[in-house]
Amino acid sequence: MTRMTDSEIRVLANRFFDAYQDRRPDELKDIYCDETIIWTNVFQKEMSGEDNRSALPASYAKARRRTYDDRTINTFDEGFVIQYTLTGVHHTGHKGALQVCIVALCRNNKIVRIDEYMDTSKFRDWRGPNFHEDG
Amino acid sequence: MNDGQLRDLCNRFFDAVESHDLETLAAIYSDDLQFWANVTGTAKTKEENLQILRDGKAVHRRRTYDDRQIRTFETGFLAQYSCNIVQLDGRKRSLSSCLIAQCKDGQITRIDEYLDSSRFSDASRRPAAK
Repeated sequence: MTRMTDSEIRVLANRFFDAYQDRRPDELKDIYCDETIIWTNVFQKEMSGEDNRSALPASYAKARRRTYDDRTINTFDEGFVIQYTLTGVHHTGHKGALQVCIVALCRNNKIVRIDEYMDTSKFRDWRGPNFHEDG
Repeated sequence: MNDGQLRDLCNRFFDAVESHDLETLAAIYSDDLQFWANVTGTAKTKEENLQILRDGKAVHRRRTYDDRQIRTFETGFLAQYSCNIVQLDGRKRSLSSCLIAQCKDGQITRIDEYLDSSRFSDASRRPAAK
């Protein structure tokens, strides 16, 4: 195993967020490895990368568009931490923004673990009035 | 700052917050510190943050910053941790949080803190009157 360079990690970070933004689970399949684990402070539990990918179509249906903006990336030996603004345009036309931070551990050009931190008390403002789960 | 210096600064910061050592914190913070939190979406100054800590001391019986996973990068450190709170009524709460700190010349110049405030509100809730 060779250590990933700062540039390689940054490229991987942006590939990951571009794939999420462009609604390309196929690209995520290439970014995740078989053992990828995703943890979020919202649910306080882990899920597999495959379960995460499987949930994406339903997640995408909830918003007209989601963009991952203002990405601030810092890399360390085993991965990256990214701070960003998740901007969502919902089917109602409401536009909301969430401040999110993700810590990712990377190996061999794959993401092996993601820890996501956000504030659930901001969800209501993010979704706006008249939001429905089914879009 | 090298990896060892950044890790030392990180632990000094958490130890000082944990033990309510505001004197040490004042020395660790640069004068132009910006302390941003996702909960408020705004940045506080050094003095504002220290005042918040002064005011917050009586809210809980004890607060510890455990399971610190520290990683350093060129300009600072990342810490993922559990903030364990013992409320005034003895109940315990745990918050999983992370913060990113920018550092320079042995001091912290900026902190960005991410946590789930809905859990924090629960942890801060005072016991119901009987």
